[in-house]
Amino acid sequence: MFDGIMLGLSTVLDWNNLLYVIVGCFVGTFIGMLPGLGPITAIALMIPITYSIGADSGMILMAGVYYGAIFGGSTSSILINAPGVAGTVASSFDGYPLAKQGHAGKALAIAAYSSFIGGTVGAILLMVAAPLLAKVSLSFQSPDYVVLMFLGLTAIAAFSNKGQFLKAMMMTVFGLMLATVGIDPSSGTERFTFGQADLLDGISFLLVAMATFALAEALINVVRPEKKEIKSINDSDTPQIGSTKLTKAEIKEMAPTVGRSSILGFIIGVLPGAGATIASFMAYATERNLAPKALKDKFGKGSLRGLAAPESANNAACTGSFVPLLTLGIPGSGTTAIMLGALIAYGIQPGPMLMQENPSVFWSVIVSMYFGNIVLLILNLPLIPYFAKVLAMPKSVLTIMILFFSLIGVYLVSFNTFDLFMMVGFALVALVLRLLAFPMAPLLLGFILGDMIERNFRRSMMISDGSLSFLWERPLTLSIFVISLLVLLFPLKDFITQRRADKAAVKAKQEHA
Amino acid sequence: MLNRELLGPSLFLALFTLYAIVAWQIPLLPFEEYETVTSATLPKVYAAFGIIVCLLSIGATLLKPTEKTDSDDVLEKSNVLRTFGLLILMVVYSAALEPIGFLISTSVFLLVGFFVMGERRKKILLLASIPVAVVFWFLMTQVLGIYLVPGNLWS
Repeated sequence: MFDGIMLGLSTVLDWNNLLYVIVGCFVGTFIGMLPGLGPITAIALMIPITYSIGADSGMILMAGVYYGAIFGGSTSSILINAPGVAGTVASSFDGYPLAKQGHAGKALAIAAYSSFIGGTVGAILLMVAAPLLAKVSLSFQSPDYVVLMFLGLTAIAAFSNKGQFLKAMMMTVFGLMLATVGIDPSSGTERFTFGQADLLDGISFLLVAMATFALAEALINVVRPEKKEIKSINDSDTPQIGSTKLTKAEIKEMAPTVGRSSILGFIIGVLPGAGATIASFMAYATERNLAPKALKDKFGKGSLRGLAAPESANNAACTGSFVPLLTLGIPGSGTTAIMLGALIAYGIQPGPMLMQENPSVFWSVIVSMYFGNIVLLILNLPLIPYFAKVLAMPKSVLTIMILFFSLIGVYLVSFNTFDLFMMVGFALVALVLRLLAFPMAPLLLGFILGDMIERNFRRSMMISDGSLSFLWERPLTLSIFVISLLVLLFPLKDFITQRRADKAAVKAKQEHA
Repeated sequence: MLNRELLGPSLFLALFTLYAIVAWQIPLLPFEEYETVTSATLPKVYAAFGIIVCLLSIGATLLKPTEKTDSDDVLEKSNVLRTFGLLILMVVYSAALEPIGFLISTSVFLLVGFFVMGERRKKILLLASIPVAVVFWFLMTQVLGIYLVPGNLWS
């Protein structure tokens, strides 16, 4: 492990890579602050750039963008109560009231320090957990991968918003179907190409990621604009920054909260499909339940603990989500799914062998997280008032710039205008699906995992002589498969409870009438 | 009339059915005939699973005793038109990029895009379009050495 850390350090301390950490955090914060744009969009926009700078630097840049975007989301949550990222919604519960009370600077400082500690604790846990899990996963065989990927797909659907399970499953299947377009790598048979030569190589991952996230995100803000007008930090009804200093008593009050939430956030982040949003809400709820009566009443009205908990949890969860990506090659969220796609595009297969075959990528991503957290703290905290001015950027300019960078980003990689037409078509489909409340992350996950599932499924079937017995022959495979089935059945409980509640509501209404 | 909750699963049902029809027509190579898993196996599984999920979703929606209507979700006509304007603009930009070149097509795309988004200030319209296209072109071609199409019509 020590050798790995040293290798990671030497890679990250290269001045080019240090610059990428800084640029990543800076750009991530900038994009994350813009309401409606989250880390997935930020990373999607970065992909074309990362293609030209190599795997190590590309991953370092994307990791920087990831936690920068989460930090940026907190800033807009606190200052204007308009979270840029779902993972920072819980931060606005107490962050915005604090800002309204004239403590915007303090709230932003709490967010920065909590994020820093959450991210650092997460990075330490990642450093310990990732190599251990990678060692264990070396014994994994094709059947284990098939069921693990099945678990990843079902978990992301099961953990999607309430009542969206079936929609998420449809999107997952849609993603898996898109992955089957092109020449089948095993037999060389053409599938779903309809005689179109441009489809022989399949649909580009970059195109799907850009269309479903960057383009669709920009267009959804046009077709259904945010009701809240975004105001400059200098506007009269937007809180002034004020002092960023914290007292000893305040630090003492928040310390246990930050510690607990960081560990909780990391554990939730490791789980496939969970991620920063669930982590931040769970940390908030846990801290409210644990708080003494007097402090409990302050939650939602500007509680310091109420802000520190989600902030440390969401950053720790971001770091935690790298564990399944780096060790098993299975992304737990939409954001890490994009990173997985980028790694595959570099010709690197994430998974248990990553640590041995590409140790510099593995360790530099982990070590860059320390640096990223330090950069966020020392670079972003003093720059917050200036960053906040970003919120006043004309929407007309911003939207068109996103469209331009998305289109030209894809063109500069493929130099094929057919890809651009297809991208606009995908963006339209994604827009309609977004309006119909379909989640996008399962589509991307299905699309990225589709090829790996097919390869491992074929191999498993060959090993077991064409029988599905590989699902229960090994205890490990069987255990993961049973967990996947339980995850699949989990939303059924919600559905039955909801149906009972709906029926009761209708009955009560009829009786009342 | 088809409500919003039924529209999505119905569209997917149609799509998955079409996919299933094509999946069942994937030609098998001679050596694949006796294999358990062929290039058509997983597409067929996906199609069948997708159709089941759609039917479950349609069934669950029809069984719902209450119908929730959300007046906030009604889209404004001007916003829909603006979105379609941007989609058409992107298609035109994609088509024009190679024939007329990066510099002209990008400048026009940005300028018209800002206009479609409601920007009428001449200063912003001009300063955020042509200089951006020129700076981007300079960075790509002169600094990073990346080829950007100059325009097939005059090169």
